[in-house]
Amino acid sequence: MAILSTPASTVRLASQGRPLKEHLFRIALLASLAIAMIFLVVLLVYVVTQGWSRLDLNLIQNFPSLRAVNAATAGVLSGIMGTLWVVALTALMALPTGVLAAVYLEEYADKTKWYNRLIELNIANLAAVPSIVYGILGLGVISRGFGLGPSVITGAITLSLLVLPIVIIAAREAIKSVPPSIREGSLALGATQWQTIWRQVLPASVPGIATGSILALSRAIGEAAPFLLLGAATLVRFNPDGLDSSFSVLPVQIYNLITNSRPEVQVVGAAAIVVLLAILLLMNSVAIWLRNRYQKRW
Amino acid sequence: MTEIMPNITVRGPEAPRNIEALDPVFTVSNLSVFYGDYEAVRGVDLTIGNREITAMIGPSGCGKSTVLRCFNRMNDLIPGARAAGSIMYHGEDLYGDHVDPIEVRRRIGMVFQKPNPFPKSIYDNIAYGPRVNGMKGKMDDLVEQALTQAALWDEVKDKLKQNALSLSGGQQQRLCIARAIAVRPEVILMDEPCSALDPIATTKIEDLMQELSRDYTIVIVTHNMQQAARVSDRTAFFTAEVDEQSVRHGRLVEFDETSRIFTNPSDKRTEDYITGRFG
Ligand SMILES: Nc1ncnc2c1ncn2[C@@H]1O[C@H](COP(=O)(O)OP(=O)(O)OP(=O)(O)O)[C@@H](O)[C@H]1O
Ligand SMILES: [Mg+2]
Repeated sequence: MAILSTPASTVRLASQGRPLKEHLFRIALLASLAIAMIFLVVLLVYVVTQGWSRLDLNLIQNFPSLRAVNAATAGVLSGIMGTLWVVALTALMALPTGVLAAVYLEEYADKTKWYNRLIELNIANLAAVPSIVYGILGLGVISRGFGLGPSVITGAITLSLLVLPIVIIAAREAIKSVPPSIREGSLALGATQWQTIWRQVLPASVPGIATGSILALSRAIGEAAPFLLLGAATLVRFNPDGLDSSFSVLPVQIYNLITNSRPEVQVVGAAAIVVLLAILLLMNSVAIWLRNRYQKRW
Repeated sequence: MTEIMPNITVRGPEAPRNIEALDPVFTVSNLSVFYGDYEAVRGVDLTIGNREITAMIGPSGCGKSTVLRCFNRMNDLIPGARAAGSIMYHGEDLYGDHVDPIEVRRRIGMVFQKPNPFPKSIYDNIAYGPRVNGMKGKMDDLVEQALTQAALWDEVKDKLKQNALSLSGGQQQRLCIARAIAVRPEVILMDEPCSALDPIATTKIEDLMQELSRDYTIVIVTHNMQQAARVSDRTAFFTAEVDEQSVRHGRLVEFDETSRIFTNPSDKRTEDYITGRFG
C-alpha cells in the first residue's frame, strides 16, 4: 500500500484567518472585564467623593444622628459595633454547624439514599433563597415565635441561617478536593474514620473552608433586607452589650442615612458606605491571603 | 477489641514441592468478590506463606487489586462491595462478625500504586500511624527505625521537618513503606508499588522488599513479570474468564512456587502470559 503523504503545495503555515477570530474573542473578553472594572471604579470614586468631607474619625467614634446640626460630627459607631457583634456570633454558630453538616454529607451520607440526595438538593436551593425570606423567617419564628425580640441574637441566628447553606457548600467543595488516596492511606494504617477526618481531611480542607466562609460572611455583612424586616433599630445611640441587646447594623444605618432628605445627612451615609467597603475589602484580603498561604498541592 | 494475635511458628524444613505454603498467614478458600451485583472475582483458593513474598500477576482487570484489598478489608470502604467464601488469618475468619476492620488494617499494612504521602512533614507521616493507634514508646526512635528499615533514613535524616511532598516519587514510595512499617504490621500488601517509578527507584524498592521479607509477610501485585520472578517466593496468576452469560470474572489460574511458574507452568494460559503471547 502506498504511503499517503500530504502534497507539499497544500501545506500552509501562513495565517488562515484564524488570528482575527482569536483577536475578536480576546477583545470580547477584555470588554467584559472592563465593564465590570469600570463600574466598580465609578462606584468607588462616586462614593468616596460623596462622602469625602465626612471620612474622619468622628464617623467611627460617634453615634448616629439625623439632625442636620449634628451632621458634621455624627457617626455610625453603633452600626459598626452591631455589625461586628452579629457577624462574630454568626461565625460562631454557622461555621461549626456548616462544617459538621458538610462532613456528614461528604464522609458519612450514603449518596445512593434518596433522603441524602434530597438534603443536598435542598441545601443548594436554600443558598439561592432571597435574604428577605430569611428576614421573614427570623421575624416570625425567632423574634416573635421564640420571643427573642429584635435583639442581637435574633439577628445573628437569622444571618446564620442565611449563610449556612453557603458555608456547607463551600466546606463540601473543600472536603471533596482532598484526594481519596489520603483517606485510604490513613485508613490503611488502622486509623478510624473519625481520626481520618479529624487529622487528615479537615486540616487539608481548612484553606478552602476558611476562604468560602469568609466570603459567605462578607456577603452577610452587606445585608440590609433581613434586618429591616427584623426591626433592627436605626438610630441606636449605644453599642450592643449582650445577646439580648437591641442593635443596628451598618447597612441599615446606611439605608437610613442615604434616604434622608437632608444632603448633610446623606454625606454621612456615603462615608459609611466607604467604611463598609473597607471592612469587606479587608475580609476578602484575609480570604485571599489564607488561600495562598495554605494552598495544598498534591 | 478483638484479639487475633498471630501465633508465629518457625518455618519447617522445605518440602521438595509445596504448592500450599507450609505456614500460612492467610488461607483463602473459594473467595468471590462482588461489586454490587457484579462478581469481579470468582472462586479463588490461595495461601499466603509466613515471611514469604507472594506475587499476584495477570492481565489488567482480572481482579488482582480486588483480591489484595480483601486481605486488609479495604474493600469494605467501597459501597456495595462484598466478599463471599472465606479468608482465614492465622486460623481466624477475617470477615467474622466479631472482627474489627480497624484492627485488621493495623496488622495488615498497605502500600498503594501511587505514592500517597500525607501533606505533612516527613516525621509526621511516619508518626501518624503509631499516633492514631495509641502506640507508646519514644516517637523519635520509632521514626528513625521505620525510615532506616525502609532504606530512606540517610536521605531524609536532615530534613525530617520538611513536607513529604517535596520528596521524589521513589522517595515518597519508600516513605509510604516506612509509614506502613511504623505501625509494626505483620503483613504488608503492595499494589503495583513500582509502577510510577524509574528503574533505579524500582531496584531500591525490590531490594527493600527482600530485606523486609525477613520480618514481614509481603503480598505484591505487579505487572512487571521480571519483578515477580526476581522478588517473589510464590506467584499467583490470575486472568479474566467469560462465563456462560458472557460476564467477565477474575479467576485464579495457577498458584505455585515462582520458579515453577516461570520455568514450568502447568497451565497453558500461564505460559502464554509469561512468555508475552497473551495479555
Ligand atoms: N470500585 C469498584 N466498583 C465496581 N467495580 C470495580 C471496582 N473496582 C474494580 N472493579 C471491577 O473489578 C474488576 C477487577 O478490577 P481490579 O481493579 O481488581 O483489577 P486488577 O487486576 O487490579 O487490574 P489492574 O491490573 O488494571 O490494576 C474489573 O472488572 C473492575 O472493573
Ligand atoms: Mg489493580
